[in-house]
Amino acid sequence: MIDADSTHLWMHFWAIATAATVSAGCALVGSFLVVRRLSLLGDAISHAVLPGIVLAVLAGGRPGGAGVFLGAVVAGLVTVWLTNLLGTHAGLAEDAGAGVAFTTLFAIGVVLVSALASRVDIDPGCVLYGILELVPFDTVPILGLEVPRALLAAATVLVVLVIGAVVCWKELVFTAFDPAAARAAGLPVGVITAGLLVATSLATVASFEAVGAILVVAMLAVPAAAAELLVRRFHLMLVVAVGLGVAGSILGYLAAWRFNTNAAGMIAVVLGIEYVVAALVAPGDGIVARVVSRESLRWRVACEDRLASLWRAEEGDAAALAPRTLLDRLAQARLVFWGRIVPGRAGGLTDIGREEARVIVRSHRLWEAWLGRHVALPLDHLHPPAEWIEHHLGAEVRGRIAADLEGHEGDPHGRDIPSEEFPPRSADEPAR
Amino acid sequence: MILAVVDDSFPAAWIPPYNTLVVAAGVASVGFAAGVVGCFAVLRRRALAGDAAAHATLLGVGLAFLLGGGRRDLPLLLAGALSTAIAALLGLVLIGRWTRTRDDAATAIVLGVSFGAGITLLSGISARGIPGSAGLEQFLLGHTAGLTAADATILGVMSLLAVGIVALFLKESTLVAFDPLFAAASGWPVTLIDYALVVLVAVMVVVGLPAAGAVLVTALVVIPPVTARQWTDSVGVMLPLAGIFGLVAALSGVAVSSAVPRMPTGPLVVIAASILLTISLLIAPRRGGLARWLQARRTVAAWADGRLLEVALRLDSDGPFTREQLLSWAPGVAADSAFKRLVRSAALEPVVTRAGTDAWRLAVWGRELAAERSRRVAAWTEVLEAAREDARGHLTIDVPSPEAILGAARMKAIRESAAAERGAGVARAGQPWQPGQPGGGAGG
Repeated sequence: MIDADSTHLWMHFWAIATAATVSAGCALVGSFLVVRRLSLLGDAISHAVLPGIVLAVLAGGRPGGAGVFLGAVVAGLVTVWLTNLLGTHAGLAEDAGAGVAFTTLFAIGVVLVSALASRVDIDPGCVLYGILELVPFDTVPILGLEVPRALLAAATVLVVLVIGAVVCWKELVFTAFDPAAARAAGLPVGVITAGLLVATSLATVASFEAVGAILVVAMLAVPAAAAELLVRRFHLMLVVAVGLGVAGSILGYLAAWRFNTNAAGMIAVVLGIEYVVAALVAPGDGIVARVVSRESLRWRVACEDRLASLWRAEEGDAAALAPRTLLDRLAQARLVFWGRIVPGRAGGLTDIGREEARVIVRSHRLWEAWLGRHVALPLDHLHPPAEWIEHHLGAEVRGRIAADLEGHEGDPHGRDIPSEEFPPRSADEPAR
Repeated sequence: MILAVVDDSFPAAWIPPYNTLVVAAGVASVGFAAGVVGCFAVLRRRALAGDAAAHATLLGVGLAFLLGGGRRDLPLLLAGALSTAIAALLGLVLIGRWTRTRDDAATAIVLGVSFGAGITLLSGISARGIPGSAGLEQFLLGHTAGLTAADATILGVMSLLAVGIVALFLKESTLVAFDPLFAAASGWPVTLIDYALVVLVAVMVVVGLPAAGAVLVTALVVIPPVTARQWTDSVGVMLPLAGIFGLVAALSGVAVSSAVPRMPTGPLVVIAASILLTISLLIAPRRGGLARWLQARRTVAAWADGRLLEVALRLDSDGPFTREQLLSWAPGVAADSAFKRLVRSAALEPVVTRAGTDAWRLAVWGRELAAERSRRVAAWTEVLEAAREDARGHLTIDVPSPEAILGAARMKAIRESAAAERGAGVARAGQPWQPGQPGGGAGG
């Protein structure tokens, strides 16, 4: 827990730096996992490194030391190997295989920790959710500065991961997006995948002390998935993912400080909020964008329908129906505001309104006429499709339909098709 | 209401046997129901959706604790857990419907974030020292020592209800699990049944919380069905079998953890289940590792016997033959033991008879066997040459690998000489080698 009145700002700085470094490494690896649909292997590995770490510590390794990294990487690879073995020999689906392998290894790890609590310097709680707040207390001196051991480990891993990503960039991207083609092109896809899994194990074990085994899953998957929603280019996705991961760590830590609770958990929550925001505001197909485009279409359709009904009323010298639904009323108000309809109860069309309405009715009747001529539909089936498509026909398509209908005046219901230009041609003038 | 009394220092032997028995019965039925419900989760590949729901339960436990004013009332906490578990499943559905994020990442997101939220809430509660909050972390890894008889009864009843629902909708769930397209075409509400199934898994995950904890309770739903699958191909057998495996795992985990101080129950339950699975993977009939190994050995031995007989028939036409002659014509790792079987047969039902210290002749029975084998081989050779496609379909069924019979070194030599011959053929004829042309004729 973080002391709200702590004066040791350095402590908080080191903790934040550690979280941000860990998060950057995880986001980097996670991006590859997410595009390769291997997020769940990240999940499995993060659970399964526990027994590797415990055994390495038992064998005399120091937390954060090279031996522990080796143990974790081996445990991670064992999980993947077990999952594959269960898949090929026991015919298990991948999710069930991973579910069996990582729960078992994690259980073995927890039992080891609990049974050997006196001999192993690992707190069972730390295993699950990390103790970011205690990271600054275990330091090593570098250039006269007391740097937390966990930060040093995380920074080393980050450097290794970045170098690995840059050196193998082409191969990694090729394999990520088209493994079959990469194999055909002679790339050792299996080796590259194994390398990715080793990288995942490294990122996981570097995060272990800071955020624990399970919240690593959030660090791996969430920033990457959010970045994938926000941008379309992979190299941009990496940058955005790392940015989101780092921002989430800083904000999460600060929020945990403010609310006096677990920092790693809060970081996961902030990352989750980032994902939700990304899903909402993603350009093009974000939820907001979709709702806006759907609603604006509804608006346009309502306004155009209103205009068309007024135009038909003028044509038949009848009074237009009053707007009934809420959307109709709103559309009416908007049309009045934009000068398409004369204000007041009687409310006829203005000149601009009449112009626009004519085009809509023209689209509608052209389509009915075209359907009537080319598709053998009964008369009462022509209206619904035309009612839908009248909002979507452009000038060019209208022109081509009109050309196709040359010599067939009027729509199938026997009404005139309004002309494209203004003022309207008289009936005896030849059609264009 | 019932207040769970948590007191680790209370020696297990002092608990009245009635309470122990009821708790054991409750845990047993939880294990049984988790196994049964898990079968469909595994068959429908929903195992990890259940995991996401399980990790979300922690948040619900914390919320229910706060809403209930700090009471540690098990039904209340479990109701909270169930509501967040279902919310997590809803989150999965929403992500799938509204975003481009794929299933695997969606599961990881829901799992990681909801667990983070749960940890945040529980840490916040314990940092504020709210009375009664000390035991909440038992829901992480499971702890059955604090269960009262009333709690266990509730768990047991809910488990039996879940089993009852599965039994009631057995036909529908089976159909949807094995052929969702057919089920949809026949007018079954596949999506509804699917959702009901996942909710049932969420219920089992919640009921299993006290026994296995949020982090590992998935194993209780996944491992027993996988174990049962090794033993049978029939759903009707798989369901009760998975239930029994789950029951045994849950009970033995609880028993061991009650004997070892400060040991959480969940990991032990999972390890017990994994041990059952490992045993099954080894010794299950037909699918098990042992059965497969024996089958492979039998096939190889049968082939080696036949090959040896064929050579013996050829040598026998020139009089008695020695062991060395026989094996030089039938090289391979399996031939040695095949010769031993041949010699042993001399005493019982003679395939070969002894004609000297190291001289053998084929007996009448051996000659008949060898002739029949030659006939079969000739027939297959004919098929292979005349109608490759027909032969290929049959040969792939039960044919051991040539390496297993001839040995890897011999096989490599054959391949190399065939390749060399092919190369020479190309050079000679000046045209590509074609199948059917003599050249690779090193078959056995």
